[in-house]
Amino acid sequence: MPRYGMVVDLDRCTGCRACMQACKVENNTPRGSFFMHVFRFETGEYPNTRISFMPRPCMHCDNAPCVKVCPVGARYKRADGLVATDFDRCIGCRYCEVACPYGVNYFNWKSPNKNYYLNWEDPELIQITKGGRVPYSNPDLENRYGKEQRRIAGGGHLKGVMEKCTFCVQRVEKGLQPACVNTCPTFALRFGDLDDPNSDVSLLLRQKQHFRLLEEVGTKPRVFYTGSQHPPGGDVRQIEEVQGRV
Amino acid sequence: MATRASVERLPYGIGRWSAGWVAVTGLSLAVLALGVFAFARQLIEGEVVTGLRNIGTMGGATWGLYVAFIVYFGGVSFAGITIAAMIRLLNLKHLRPISRMALVLAVISIILAALSVLIDLGQPFRALINLPLYGRPMSPFFGTFSVVISGYLFAGLVYLYLDGRRDAAICAERSEGVRQTFYRLWAAGYRGTPAERERHQRATFWLAIAILPLLVIATSTLGFVFGLQVGRPGWFGALQAPGFVILAGVSGVGHIIVLAAILRRVLGAEDQLNPHVFQWLGNLLMILTATYLYFWAAEWVTTSYAGHHHEVALSNALLTGEYAWLFWLSVGSLLVPFLLLARQFVTGQYRLGVMVVSGVLVNVAAIGKRILIVIPSQTHGTLLPYGTGSYSPTWVEYSVVLGLLALGALLLTLFMRVFPIVEIPQYAEGG
Repeated sequence: MPRYGMVVDLDRCTGCRACMQACKVENNTPRGSFFMHVFRFETGEYPNTRISFMPRPCMHCDNAPCVKVCPVGARYKRADGLVATDFDRCIGCRYCEVACPYGVNYFNWKSPNKNYYLNWEDPELIQITKGGRVPYSNPDLENRYGKEQRRIAGGGHLKGVMEKCTFCVQRVEKGLQPACVNTCPTFALRFGDLDDPNSDVSLLLRQKQHFRLLEEVGTKPRVFYTGSQHPPGGDVRQIEEVQGRV
Repeated sequence: MATRASVERLPYGIGRWSAGWVAVTGLSLAVLALGVFAFARQLIEGEVVTGLRNIGTMGGATWGLYVAFIVYFGGVSFAGITIAAMIRLLNLKHLRPISRMALVLAVISIILAALSVLIDLGQPFRALINLPLYGRPMSPFFGTFSVVISGYLFAGLVYLYLDGRRDAAICAERSEGVRQTFYRLWAAGYRGTPAERERHQRATFWLAIAILPLLVIATSTLGFVFGLQVGRPGWFGALQAPGFVILAGVSGVGHIIVLAAILRRVLGAEDQLNPHVFQWLGNLLMILTATYLYFWAAEWVTTSYAGHHHEVALSNALLTGEYAWLFWLSVGSLLVPFLLLARQFVTGQYRLGVMVVSGVLVNVAAIGKRILIVIPSQTHGTLLPYGTGSYSPTWVEYSVVLGLLALGALLLTLFMRVFPIVEIPQYAEGG
């Protein structure tokens, strides 16, 4: 059984946010939902300022606070390390969200069909789509995955449930890389088996110094950061924030 | 008419119409209808109609007014049962008249707490099936719907039932028809013989002993929902659970004082709800308020002196920032009642008005403090450098909460119309 993990090379990240775009297309996420989010930071005072970037997927923690608090076991840890959300079981209490120190959970505040970037019921648009489903809707997201055979992939399913990054379980199970990793033009994101000494991620972790976000809270994340930077301190300012409101 | 004559023999206006009763019930129904309408909007549109949003990139709070009121209602319920159990355990005979109203308050509050939980959920109907089917005891939230809601409801109802048997028997003697059948069922053959009284005393004593620790554990689990979350500044802490227990006592005792003062006037029960009763309640409230203020100060000193920079940022938002108005309002609403009650205690001059004002104020503080526990840690407590968030409830949340309070008032007035909410005094027995 593989033990999946991700390595983010902060030296390579240019903050282009292509991973966020790829994630949205692959996972059908509604407006305001960013399973992958790239921080754009500024530090220092003008003229001595510095820009830095930090991608933030779900950390797929080994000691995941969200898994511990879920009252119905909708959020669970798979044997391969992926932290999954069974949207057929979730009751929408949002406890996972308040428990998560990384802010990676996205609740469907309204019906996702009413919450995409385009209004698919617009008559003008229907002339093009011929009344079909949302054109980019990914059929793989409805399938069951893993030995548990539960529906856990993607987003945009139904209102009143929680969704988050799944490391693209629908792609990983086919032997593909997650959409963000596949898209990244600078190879800043790497994904693979941490137990395989020859995998990209294992090689990188052996070669480079690395840290994990908020290690002090004991969540044991599966996402590692390499590069010159240390975890963002209290002096960073977020710039160009995403339009998050629904 | 025989029925009318028999109804008039029942105490405290049971079964009789009065202008005041109709007005209170009508108003409650109207506000409840508003709440139901608002909740229907929420069910149809989703929780987008509330002011709640995701923590992080969406810059919101995902738990808001509903969660604050789950804790508030849970707390009032806890205090109601605890006071009734304490009266029995310590054999405080002169306080018996408030025992039943405390239990009624507890049962109603826990119904409201259960409804608040369901209202807060994104999939409330699914929860009714999934919580019993897949409930995980490892989740701190498990305690809320197991020990707290089921436990309080069970303990409250059993206690209320046992406590009411004697009065039901008296009422059965004085009524007829369907009403009599109802009282007879409640009385369940109670005759008031010495042996029966002794058995009843023993049963309630052991019940009280059994439920008191259960209640403390249950309210603690509500505190643990927050206190065990290491990822939220302001939540993680050992003081959270005992703090919840004490604040539950503060709000519950405040409620009982206000309710007892209203009933004393409305039912003309000045003899039973006498100054002794209020004096005892006032002193209890003073001790609880002082204890909570002490907890609060200890928490504040720890955070501001040695807190992590996230804790300090949160503390600043509370003391001088966005939440300062609510923070100081809540502090003041605890401090002023404490000083008023302490003055009474020292001078020995107890005034009903002062105690009612204190009862109302401590509830303002209790609601305010719950909001301050739940919300700022989400909007101002993200550990990653997201921007500062904000949350303001919408008309839907306000209407739903008002609707819940109205439902509480409605259940109370309905109960008062069918059963004596103050124990029928001994001398009236049989006559």
